[in-house]
Amino acid sequence: MQASRARLFKEYKEVQREKSADPDIQLICDDSNIFKWTALIKGPSETPYEGGVFQLAFAIPEQYPLLPPQVRFLTKIFHPNVHFKTGEICLDILKNAWSPAWTLQSVCRAIIALMAHPEADSPLNCDSGNLLRSGDIRGYRSMARMYTRLAAMPKKG
Amino acid sequence: MESEEDMHDANDWESVGEDLYSDYGEEGSEVYVEEGDDFFCNSNFDDSKDVMVVREKPFTVLSEDDIRQRQEEDISKTVAILSISKAEAFILLRHFKWDENRVNDEWFANEVAVRRAIGLLENRVEIPKLMELSIDHLTCGICFETYPPNMMSAAACGHRFCGACWQGYIGTSISNGPGCLTLRCPDPSCSAAILQDMINFLATDEDKEKYARFYFRSYVEDGRKIKWCPAPGCDFAVEYYKGSANYDVSCSCSFSFCWNCTEEAHRPVDCSTVAKWILKNSAESENMNWILANSKPCPKCKRPIEKNQGCMHMTCTPPCKFEFCWLCLGVWSEHGERTGGFYACNRYESAKKEGVYDEAERRREMAKNCLERYTHYYERWASNQTSRQKAFADLQSMRNEKIAKLREIIKEEESQLSFVIDAWSQIVECRRVLKWTYAYGYYLPDHELARKHFFEYLQGEAESGLERLHQCAEKELQVFFDALPDSPPTKEFCAFKTKLAGLTAVTRTYFENLVQALENGLEDVSSASQVAGSSTSKSQSTKGKAGKNKAAKLAVPQISPDDYWACDRCTFNNHPSAKRCEMCSHHQ
Repeated sequence: MQASRARLFKEYKEVQREKSADPDIQLICDDSNIFKWTALIKGPSETPYEGGVFQLAFAIPEQYPLLPPQVRFLTKIFHPNVHFKTGEICLDILKNAWSPAWTLQSVCRAIIALMAHPEADSPLNCDSGNLLRSGDIRGYRSMARMYTRLAAMPKKG
Repeated sequence: MESEEDMHDANDWESVGEDLYSDYGEEGSEVYVEEGDDFFCNSNFDDSKDVMVVREKPFTVLSEDDIRQRQEEDISKTVAILSISKAEAFILLRHFKWDENRVNDEWFANEVAVRRAIGLLENRVEIPKLMELSIDHLTCGICFETYPPNMMSAAACGHRFCGACWQGYIGTSISNGPGCLTLRCPDPSCSAAILQDMINFLATDEDKEKYARFYFRSYVEDGRKIKWCPAPGCDFAVEYYKGSANYDVSCSCSFSFCWNCTEEAHRPVDCSTVAKWILKNSAESENMNWILANSKPCPKCKRPIEKNQGCMHMTCTPPCKFEFCWLCLGVWSEHGERTGGFYACNRYESAKKEGVYDEAERRREMAKNCLERYTHYYERWASNQTSRQKAFADLQSMRNEKIAKLREIIKEEESQLSFVIDAWSQIVECRRVLKWTYAYGYYLPDHELARKHFFEYLQGEAESGLERLHQCAEKELQVFFDALPDSPPTKEFCAFKTKLAGLTAVTRTYFENLVQALENGLEDVSSASQVAGSSTSKSQSTKGKAGKNKAAKLAVPQISPDDYWACDRCTFNNHPSAKRCEMCSHHQ
């Protein structure tokens, strides 16, 4: 408990210092609970998620960083490795490939990388995966783009 | 060729039963030697050699010390041959399932590839060199605190972390189970193995102990030659020599089990029947219903897996790590475009259409509807089980106290009373066989009438023979315990001895035949005349013995075996008072 608190505090300080370093990621710690974080990440360019801002929720276990944080999308997203209803993410480093040397920041980076390179081989969103697997890139991009517009971009007017 | 195979069977047969079958007891010798002679005549082997082979068991019972010693020896050998450290040899041997030959082959074929696969670095990254660069403090990659270099440790790869973080990292891994034996460096880009010397240097005492336990158990659990005795609280393991057709082994704790499936010994029934039967038995319980409904067994290690989240790509927990498709349970590496994608597996869909999966479910459904039939077999299976446990307890108390008491009353040498122990051992063994014949009977197809009738005949005979023996060993022996010590009933005891020893021998022979017949898949039934011939002669011989014993039995008022009526349909011997067959409910 003490160790995880200390480590999260370090990460918090690091985040404050680096705020301008990575413009795509904004990590925010809950005011009253250091084990609850949210992040705003920018959809990577040249993807259907470009221009969108996606909110992530982190629930951090007491054994962190020995155990990985639980992360899910709060913003609706159409992506093969993200559950369409719950926002759950299928990413190896959040499961068995976790290493205590990873940080919340690097987890965000990994998620951005996942958005740019969907892994259609182990899909959580079957419709999205099906489009990619069948080679209907246009279909996948249109759907993903539509949901980015609907959910991740400020409404016009 | 055929005779050789026969001999194999005969060897296994005799070697495994141990005392019960290979013991050429006085009384049993008649029948046994006859068979033996026959057998030696058929095969052109030297007699003396055969006897030696017969005596050899196809397995060895190992204590913890034996295992430790073997593990040490294997590790030392590898250390000597490959000139690597002990901890490295352990990682290497474990990776190749403790198969020394494979370790050597793979190592000398491609040392670099082997080293990479298991994370053994050839050259240690030298830490003193960094210190010479006059770096006075470093940041730990886990807690981000800074420490002087001497307070940090690294595996051979040189990635340094502080003591507290190492301790936590190792502790988390150890508490997750034997997967800790393949622990790697915490750095995400590094795959250097964490060796035992490092664990011993950094972990808490409790974790070190746990790790040592996994380390030791790995020799049995990851190896292919040794298995733990499944009896509760038993610390022995059994090494089995492959190539023998029969898997029954008996541990030093007196528990007999099948080495192949680690269920209790179940000759003459095969492992798959036993597995089906045991699953069926527990299928009635809520637990199993839940497991069946919510989990699937890992196709490789058979551990039940509950899928609570994520995609269809499953990876079993270490050390198994088998990757498979949740839908069709096939190997993941074979999935791809051809199987129609990864999430709506075509194989599963087409198999479902062809009815493979439905079939299994329908069968399960049907089995539930046939509950009555099942209950019939289960009750008999279970009552023989209980009966066996009781007989085993009786055998123990006989050995430990009652024999001494009997000696006082009868005034005989202990060696003269061993026939009582023989009888009880035989009862315990027969109950076991009889119990499993009910599982066998349950899975015997209904439409194969000839086989079914023959089986039920054999089983009925075996059962009534065993009942006679059990009755004699229990009730008739009791009479002598109640006798007054000053007037020892020597004469009666002599008659009793002849009777009990005779019954033991007859029952033993009968059960041997039963086991053999079932293991041959009741082949005899195809040549009907032969069956009729042999079975009548057998029943005559049993009856002959029983007849001889009638005089002794008359001393105790009870129903003579002749009063029992044999059912027309299933041949079971029913109590005179029964109007319907106790087995198949057929009218008298």
